[in-house]
Amino acid sequence: MIRAVLFLASLVLLSGAALAHHGWGSYDAVKPITVVGPIVTSKFENPHATITVRATDKVWTVTLAPTSRMSSRGATDKVIAVGNNVSAYGYPSTVEKDELRAERITVDGKTYEMR
Amino acid sequence: MTDQAPAIFIALEESGFAAAIRQSLWLYPAANVGHIVALVFFAGAVAVIDVRLLGGLAATAPGRLIARARWFAIVALLGMAVTGFMLFSAEASHVALNPVFQLKVALIGAGLINVALYEFGAKSAVADLPPGAAIPARARMVGVVSLLIWVAVAACGRSIAYF
Repeated sequence: MIRAVLFLASLVLLSGAALAHHGWGSYDAVKPITVVGPIVTSKFENPHATITVRATDKVWTVTLAPTSRMSSRGATDKVIAVGNNVSAYGYPSTVEKDELRAERITVDGKTYEMR
Repeated sequence: MTDQAPAIFIALEESGFAAAIRQSLWLYPAANVGHIVALVFFAGAVAVIDVRLLGGLAATAPGRLIARARWFAIVALLGMAVTGFMLFSAEASHVALNPVFQLKVALIGAGLINVALYEFGAKSAVADLPPGAAIPARARMVGVVSLLIWVAVAACGRSIAYF
């Protein structure tokens, strides 16, 4: 039994040491930024819709909200269609390069909350 | 999608199955809710088993109670596996590299090994005990380890989205 417990403990420790990588959750709320430009790609998909936006400095990946929440707030797939101009206010990722999690987006003068 | 993940996870994420889950308005939320409902039944069944192994519910015959609760646990675990696979597929390349997800998978493996330890090392000593009889120490140990592991699995599951 003791041997089994030691085995379990080593399993846990080994997996904890496995390579660290990002998922969700690491966004720098202290440094909000606004990204403005045309939408280059658009995915109206779960668990979160995502768009890429060609800003003046670079192409940003902007993470939005789940599709059902987007829809209920009027931010349909047509609102975030490729070619539309968007202004996205949100927080840059601390792990993923050039990724932003949007607090709200504005398209065609209309603002949609993402949280 | 991240190309740092092993090819099998990239292929899974790019499959029609995973795309259908992402693109449907209700499939992903349904899998989410299903995963939690299955969790409720699984946690309930595991709690009954572990509490009995720790000497609680002493008025029952442990062998029969555990055998009955185990069926609930097995069916609920299958439900968790199916809904969990759906949630995993949608973002396979990212989730596979998520350290908390990796820890969760390792802990599930440890939990199943613990079940095998009971099955082959303690079950025979518990199966025919009458109500109220003392539970052998190694069976109590299985109960303690099981409780710790499955609570940790649940905590990891909830934490995946934050890493």
